[in-house]
Amino acid sequence: MRIIACFKAAPDDSDITVGADRTLDVSRAQPKIGSYDLNAIEAARQLADQVGGEVIGISLGGAALDNSKLRKDALSRGLDSLVAVAGDPDADSFQTATALAAAIGELGGCDLVLLGAGSSDRYAQQVGNQLGALLGLPTLNQVNQITPDGDGLRVLRLLENAEQVLGVTLPAVLSVTSGINTPRIAGMKDILAAGKKPVTDTVSALPPASSRTASVLAPEQVDRRHVLVEADPEDAARQLAQFLKTL
Amino acid sequence: MSEVWIVAHDPVAGNALAGSARALGDAVNAISLGAGALAAADLTLLVEADPSTPVEAYAAAVAEVLASRAAKLVVLDSSAQSRLLAGQLAAHLGTSPVNATGVVSTDPLVVTRLAYGGLAVATEELASAVAVLVLAAGALPPADGTGAGAAEPLALAPSAGVRLLETRPRGGESVDLTAAKRVVGVGRGFAAQADLELARELAGRLGAELACSRPIAEGVNWMPAERYLGVSGATIKPDLYLAVGISGQIQHLVGVSHSKVIVAINKDAKAPIFAHADFGVVADLYQVLPALVAAL
Ligand SMILES: Cc1cc2nc3c(=O)[nH]c(=O)nc-3n(C[C@H](O)[C@H](O)[C@H](O)COP(=O)(O)OP(=O)(O)OC[C@H]3O[C@@H](n4cnc5c(N)ncnc54)[C@H](O)[C@@H]3O)c2cc1C
Ligand SMILES: Nc1ncnc2c1ncn2[C@@H]1O[C@H](COP(=O)(O)O)[C@@H](O)[C@H]1O
Repeated sequence: MRIIACFKAAPDDSDITVGADRTLDVSRAQPKIGSYDLNAIEAARQLADQVGGEVIGISLGGAALDNSKLRKDALSRGLDSLVAVAGDPDADSFQTATALAAAIGELGGCDLVLLGAGSSDRYAQQVGNQLGALLGLPTLNQVNQITPDGDGLRVLRLLENAEQVLGVTLPAVLSVTSGINTPRIAGMKDILAAGKKPVTDTVSALPPASSRTASVLAPEQVDRRHVLVEADPEDAARQLAQFLKTL
Repeated sequence: MSEVWIVAHDPVAGNALAGSARALGDAVNAISLGAGALAAADLTLLVEADPSTPVEAYAAAVAEVLASRAAKLVVLDSSAQSRLLAGQLAAHLGTSPVNATGVVSTDPLVVTRLAYGGLAVATEELASAVAVLVLAAGALPPADGTGAGAAEPLALAPSAGVRLLETRPRGGESVDLTAAKRVVGVGRGFAAQADLELARELAGRLGAELACSRPIAEGVNWMPAERYLGVSGATIKPDLYLAVGISGQIQHLVGVSHSKVIVAINKDAKAPIFAHADFGVVADLYQVLPALVAAL
């Protein structure tokens, strides 16, 4: 089976600083693969190991994607090869899905495309849904379990108040939940092997953005009292109980 | 006259959405995928959905109807099924859906959405010929009132490829955390599911609802998904939020930062949650919680 795993590298939010005017400074933030995208890579690897096949990673991004540490990081987590698509890292869901669809077309298609629950910066939860529609393939989100079943797949999907069991023909586009698996932590061997795996660089033209961003601002901070107690647990509990009784 | 289109797959959510959508236009038209006629809409196009396919299989056909009716604004709610419908029909209409957390103005259409995982709010002016909005819970004030309630049947064919084999209800009580005055949140600081009893006892003493961080609901499945707080979970504004064994990552904080008082118990003095707390206790929850319950 030829499986494609889509992932995005976004600025690590713990390195983003907020200025007094509530604007964000992302210039010092290191690019990091979205934690929910790792579930897609892991699910792809597990399925390929189960039925035989290869896992190709695809990512659309800006300068962050040139970072060889980042490429190795992605490749060490179970990808066999990587396609790096140069493009706007702030692209919206439709732009991103259009670029990914083109890249998948250039690869000559595949049997399955897996995506994460949401990118760590936009978290629109939409790229997979839109990609599936653009490719004209069966598409599902919230996929919590994938089992090979004859020529297709049987998947378990989590909704708010119910779960669905669905039969899906291949090729298909599935967005997985963050609970579908526990992504592996790469070992030394994986990291060394990653350096030897093939990477293809491509560029993609994007359609126009669907909206114009007027501002990006951190929310107003709420003033807090910041009382911090570092006493022995009994004493701390007593102080906290006293505080809670004043409320 | 400005028209708003909604696409609904559930009668209750559909009527609620039709009510909210009134704030966005003069007439609210609905495409109902197996959800019956919506009293809160002015016109419902009734699609009899095939029970052996998921409703999302109608996305391409729905997009065609919307295009032929020259829809300019299409609105859906943020349930998993609506999100998939929204993304798919938006793709067929050549646009990106926007997850609106608020509506700033309708002409021009300007909405807010979360950015950088909840660290910031982006204000966006829609620029495409058709706008597709996924409305977050609370993005528009709930509005009652009925619409004209007209209905017309509409025959649509689903696309092939996905068969619905079985639907099982998810064992989980429905809870409205947004209504709770006090909430106790538990996180990965708890080592085992049985240990949540400590927090449950505390919540009982405080008359609080029990909630959690996302990994507790979606990683280890110790609590139902409707009990997790944050950018992708519930947003609460209680009088008291008490976080136990929660680090306070931004994606979690987004859901609780409007609490009147925030209390945190965490054994790591450097946990980010303390920067957002009114009262913090640096200690092992396994020692503090029993002592706290005893002292209350
Ligand atoms: C796109 C995206 C969306 C997300 N959406 C959400 C969301 O909506 N809601 C959400 O919650 N998360 C969300 N997350 C996940 C979020 O980033 C964090 O991973 C998560 O909130 C961490 O949960 P936690 O605090 O329970 O666990 P951890 O971060 O592992 O923290 C556990 C804490 O417990 C403390 N601890 C350990 N043992 C003890 C002890 N014995 N006594 C006291 N303290 C102890 C530790 O010091 C630590 O601070 C999202 C992530 C992404 C990428
Ligand atoms: N720039 C990108 N390149 C490759 N995959 C992406 C990109 N952006 C999003 N994805 C994938 O689509 C999923 C959903 O992203 P989003 O719709 O932005 O929340 C992510 O979890 C990734 O798997």
